Amino acid sequence: MEIAKSSKKKTQWKRASLPYFYLLPAFLVMGVITFYPLIYQLIISFTNFESKDLLLGLKSPDLQFIGFKNYVDIFTAALPVENFNFFRVLEFNFWWALSNVMLHVPAGVLIATLLNTEGLWLKRIYRAIYILPVVVPPLVVATVWTNIFDERYGAMNQLLTSIGTYFGNTAPVYIRWFEDVKPPIPGFLPGAPLTLAYYAMMVANFWLGWPFMSVVATGALQSIPRDLYEAASIDGATGTQQFWGITVPLLRPAMIPAAVYGFTLSFNLFNFVFFMTGGGPARSTELLVTFAYNLVRNLRWYGVAAAFAVIIFVVALIVFLITNRITRATQNYQEA
Amino acid sequence: MASVTYKNVVKKFGDLTIIKNLNIAVEDKEFLVLVGPSGCGKTTALRLLAGLEEITDGEIIIGDRVVNDVAPKDRDIAMVFQSYALYPHLSVYDNMAFGLKLRKTPKDEIKRRVDEAAEILGITDLLQRKPRQLSGGQRQRVAVGRAIVREPKVFLFDEPLSNLDAKLRVQMRAEISKLHQRLQTTFIYVTHDQTEAMTMATRIAVINKGNLQQLDTPQNLYDSPNNLFVAGFIGSPAMNFFPAKIAVNGDKVIVDTGDFQVQIPASHTAPYKGLNGHSVIFGIRPENIHDPEFAPQNINGVSVSSKVDVTELMGNETLLYLVSGKNTFVGRVDPRSKLRVGNTTQVIFDMDKIHIFDANTEEAIR
Repeated sequence: MEIAKSSKKKTQWKRASLPYFYLLPAFLVMGVITFYPLIYQLIISFTNFESKDLLLGLKSPDLQFIGFKNYVDIFTAALPVENFNFFRVLEFNFWWALSNVMLHVPAGVLIATLLNTEGLWLKRIYRAIYILPVVVPPLVVATVWTNIFDERYGAMNQLLTSIGTYFGNTAPVYIRWFEDVKPPIPGFLPGAPLTLAYYAMMVANFWLGWPFMSVVATGALQSIPRDLYEAASIDGATGTQQFWGITVPLLRPAMIPAAVYGFTLSFNLFNFVFFMTGGGPARSTELLVTFAYNLVRNLRWYGVAAAFAVIIFVVALIVFLITNRITRATQNYQEA
Repeated sequence: MASVTYKNVVKKFGDLTIIKNLNIAVEDKEFLVLVGPSGCGKTTALRLLAGLEEITDGEIIIGDRVVNDVAPKDRDIAMVFQSYALYPHLSVYDNMAFGLKLRKTPKDEIKRRVDEAAEILGITDLLQRKPRQLSGGQRQRVAVGRAIVREPKVFLFDEPLSNLDAKLRVQMRAEISKLHQRLQTTFIYVTHDQTEAMTMATRIAVINKGNLQQLDTPQNLYDSPNNLFVAGFIGSPAMNFFPAKIAVNGDKVIVDTGDFQVQIPASHTAPYKGLNGHSVIFGIRPENIHDPEFAPQNINGVSVSSKVDVTELMGNETLLYLVSGKNTFVGRVDPRSKLRVGNTTQVIFDMDKIHIFDANTEEAIR
C-alpha cells in the first residue's frame, strides 16, 4: 500500500515536471540573454559604474554602491547634463506619442474611407502606394526628411518661399527647423516647450504613420456590411451621418488596438528621432530612449544609464498595462 | 398609405438587363408578393423602389409622386433586409429610434413610437440589448420594428424570413400577415418561396428572367396559371407536365402523350377544336391524380396505367412517384392508399382540373 502510494506520487511528480523539462532550453537561453543582463543592470543602477569599471565589472575596486543616488539625481535634474529635466522629457515623450496617434488615426480612417469609394479608379494602385512608407527603413526616411527641412536647400523652405512669393513676399524663407529653440506657439504644452523641430518631426512622422492606420482601416471597412449603409440611407442618414453613425463606431474595434500599437511605437521611436534631431535643439525633442542612449554612448555613465533604463522599464510597464486594458475593453461587436 | 406603380421599368447593369419592361400597379393597403427563382430580378425590383438602385428607364410612382430621382430617405418607405441590417453597436431601442432621431423627431414621440412597436412585436424586454445578444427571430422582429416606427407609406420586405429556421418561419409568416392587417399599409414583399407568397399575399407577382409572368390573387394563380413557368413554380409538389399532341376526332378531343391518351371532357373542348396535331404540354397537379380505390365519385375521371416507383408517406397524404412509359409524375393520394413500390395500377386523372399549354409559346390554351 505504502509502496503503491509513493510510486503514484513519483509518476505524478514526473508528469508535473515534464513541461518544465521541455521549457528548460528556452529558460536557459532567456536566462543568459534576458534575465542576467536585467539583474546586472538593476545592480549597477545602484553604483557609480563608469567606463573604467568595464574591465572588471562588479569586482572593480573603484566601484561604489551609492544607493538611490542615481535615481534621485535623475528625478531632481541634478545630473551635470545641460537642459535635462526628467519630467519634461517624460511629458514630451507622452505628448509626442499621443499627438502622433491623434493625427494618424483620423487621417488613416478618412483616407481609407475615401479610397473605399465604390467604382473608384485605380483603387488597388493607391492602396499599394500607401504601403510604401511602411516598408522604407526609418533611417532613410529620417535622412530624407532632414534634407527636406534643411535651412538653405530644403524643399520645405523653398515651398514656403514660393507660397510667400505668391502673396507678394519676395524674401526667401530660411526657417531653422532644427536649431530654433524658440517655441512658435509658446505655452502650447505647459512644462515642455514644443520647438519647430517638434513640428518638423510631426510632419515627417505623419508621412510615416498614417499609411499603417489606413491599411488597418481599409481592412476593417471591408467587414462592414453594405446593407447597413443601405438601411441607414433609407432611415434618412446623409453621407456624413453614415460616416459618424456607422463607419466610425464599427471601425472602433479595429482602430483602438491599432492606435495603441501606434502609441507604443511612437513612444519608443528611437531611430527616427535620433537621426532627425538627435533630441535637439536643447534636448527639446528628446525621448526617454534617445536620452538613455546618450547617457551610455556619449557620456558613458553606465550606472546612471542603468537607473534610467530601470525607470523607462517602469514607465513602459505602466503604459503597457494601460494600453492592454484599453485593448481588452474593446471587444468586437459581432462576438457573442 | 399609398399605391405603388412600376411603369415600363427597365434596369440594366452594364450590358446585362435585369428587368425588362416591368409594369405593376400595387393598390393602396395591398400585400403584394414578388416571387420568382433566384436571379429573376425580384430583389432588384424592390431595390429600385427603395431607391438603392437607379432606374435605367421607365417610372416608379409612390402615391401620386414619381420617385425616380427622389433619395431613399424621402420616399416615405421602410425596408426590412434579408440580413436584418441591424446596427450592431446600437441597442435595440436605438436601432429602432435611429431613423426618427435623424429626422429630429421629439424625444417623447420617439419613445412613444418605439414602445408601441416593441409592444406589437413582443420585444419590450429586449429594448436595452445589443443585436448580438438576440436570436435570429428576435433580430427579425427588431428589423420589422425599425420599419414600423417610421410609419412609412410603404413597407418593403426583402426575403425577411429566409435566415430563420422552418418552424420560426411559419410563425413569423402569420405575424407579418397580422401586422399587415393591423397597420393597414401597403406591403411589398420579395421571396423565392412560393409557400410564403401563397400564404401571405393579397396578390402575387410572379417574375422570371426580368419579366412579369402573371399578377393575380394566390387562388387564381394556382387554379389558372397563364403559362408553363407559373404553373410549375406555384404549388408544391409542382404540377406534372407531359409533352403531348392534340388529336381532334369529330367532337372528341384527345391528348396523346405517346404513352397514354386522355380525352378532354366535352364541356372544355372548345379552345382545342382547331388544334388537331398541335404540340402541347399537358399539365395536371398531383392532388388531381387519385388512387382508383379512393377516387371521389363525382369527378370526370380518366384511368392512366402506371407503375409505382417511389412512395412517400406523409401521414395526412401519400405522395406516389409514378412511371408511365417515358413519363414520370407525382400523385398526391389518399393516405389509406395501399399502393406500394412496384405495383401497377390505373390512377385516375381528374380531367376537370387539367391544364394545356402551347409547347412553343408555353402560354396556357384555354
